[in-house]
Amino acid sequence: METAIALDRATKRFGGITAVDGLSLEIGRGSTVALLGANGAGKSTTVGMLMGLLQPDAGRVTVAGRPPRQAVAEGRIAAMLQDSGLMPGVTAAELVGLARRMYPAPLPTAEALELAGLRELAGRRVERMSGGQAQRLKFALVAVAGAQTMLLDEPTRALDVQGRREFWAAMRNCAAAGRTILFATHYLDEVEENADRVVVLARGRVAADGDPARIREAGGRAVVRFRRPADEALPALPGEVADERGWTTVRTCAPDDVVRRLAASDVAWSDLRVSPPSLDESFLALTTTASPLAEEARVR
Amino acid sequence: MTLYLFRLECLRMLRDPRYLALAVVAPIGFYLLFASLFGGAPAQPGELRDTVEIMVAMAAYGAIWGALSATGPRLAHERASGWLDQLRAMPVTARQLLTAKIAAGLTVALPALVLVCGTAVVAKDVRLEAWQWAVLMLAMWLGTLPFALLGVMVGMLVGPEAAFPLSYGLYMAASALGGLWVPPAHLSAPLLDVARTLPTYRLADLGWRIAAGHPPAVADVAVLAAWSAGLAALTVLVQGRRQGRLRRTRAGIAAAAPVG
Repeated sequence: METAIALDRATKRFGGITAVDGLSLEIGRGSTVALLGANGAGKSTTVGMLMGLLQPDAGRVTVAGRPPRQAVAEGRIAAMLQDSGLMPGVTAAELVGLARRMYPAPLPTAEALELAGLRELAGRRVERMSGGQAQRLKFALVAVAGAQTMLLDEPTRALDVQGRREFWAAMRNCAAAGRTILFATHYLDEVEENADRVVVLARGRVAADGDPARIREAGGRAVVRFRRPADEALPALPGEVADERGWTTVRTCAPDDVVRRLAASDVAWSDLRVSPPSLDESFLALTTTASPLAEEARVR
Repeated sequence: MTLYLFRLECLRMLRDPRYLALAVVAPIGFYLLFASLFGGAPAQPGELRDTVEIMVAMAAYGAIWGALSATGPRLAHERASGWLDQLRAMPVTARQLLTAKIAAGLTVALPALVLVCGTAVVAKDVRLEAWQWAVLMLAMWLGTLPFALLGVMVGMLVGPEAAFPLSYGLYMAASALGGLWVPPAHLSAPLLDVARTLPTYRLADLGWRIAAGHPPAVADVAVLAAWSAGLAALTVLVQGRRQGRLRRTRAGIAAAAPVG
């Protein structure tokens, strides 16, 4: 697969803080990758380096095999930045029209507005838009570029539930058109449905890298729940056992073993259910210092 | 693209009621007021009629604010709001950006020139030769360049809260000292020496000489050009230093924020 984005041991320090610490990452053309991490994990710094807005202190960063500034100037990459603003005094359509004129192979303005869910607001002035509408407009500025690679830094910030759903639908359209998409987020639920690869960042390093299901399993514990009469004793089960209102909950790394031992016991259990690890829990496990699970999760 | 950006820059000025009030309506209003108050006396030999002198002064007064307000406060605001950061992530250069901005500054200076002169013709019966009108408009229009550049300077150096009052303060002070409010003939000798160094006075003087039937004065053109060159050089210097520093400071803030 052709490489759209490559970071090779990229490091960025700000004073005494190392925001990105020897980060190596390759993203193939056409893939949709989530950059997952808490605040301060190095997501925005990574995006800044990929856009050539920040110069790495060490290592190499390339976009489509070029230095980032060149890729930006050639219109090969477009980004929705976290702290960027918009030009007041003009309408949404005028602003998207401006962006359109900067790129070599842009989408029609109307199509970009449609994708961003702004068709009805094409004539609205930028300064009269709500936070969510401004956020959609920023997406329209990226969408209209028709760039091969799109970077989205916390794109759904300031969007409500409906807005987020519409946003991801639009983004999947862009992905289906063969674009490479890298989005940074700390919303875990967004990752699983929208990315085919997750890179978990913690303290500027890759804590885990793999497909979403794999990350989920690598990081967290499954939950086994069942009912049982209070007076019956449980066999020894691997994991953390808790009883509440007639329900027993076992948090475990080995759900199969729990079920096997339970089935082999005499306990009159009922209503058995096994749920996979929650992404929240995986994420916490992966980003906690020196977690053995994090080591296990380095699947690449 | 630069052309379209220029168009948007002009559009947003024309949609701004504050611009229309200060750079178009005010100079026309002041012209009518002053021309009615002081415009009665017949011209002394070798001097301009008061209605013509005030016309040139007020045309300059309006044009200057057009050029200054389109650049200074806007740029300061865009720097703070993150619009310039957005543009840095797009295929557009700082040069294209400044070209569009300065061109827009010059363009929105034009309505004051045209409308104040138009008002003078219609309301105060001012008559000049066709060549005088043509040269007057062109010379005074190009003469607003240093003010657009001054605006860029202000916009690059101060924040959005300070940019408007600073621009307006500079504008008022330079207009008063430059003889736009009080005819230069009434200025004391030391003040006139100060006025002669100011682009405000030189812009008006450019117009006064043309209206009197003389070709544009070399001294006027030279002082305006010197201001333009100085401000342009300063802009390049500040921009260069800032780009070097930006990479460190701005990112430093971004990284330090989550830590505290």
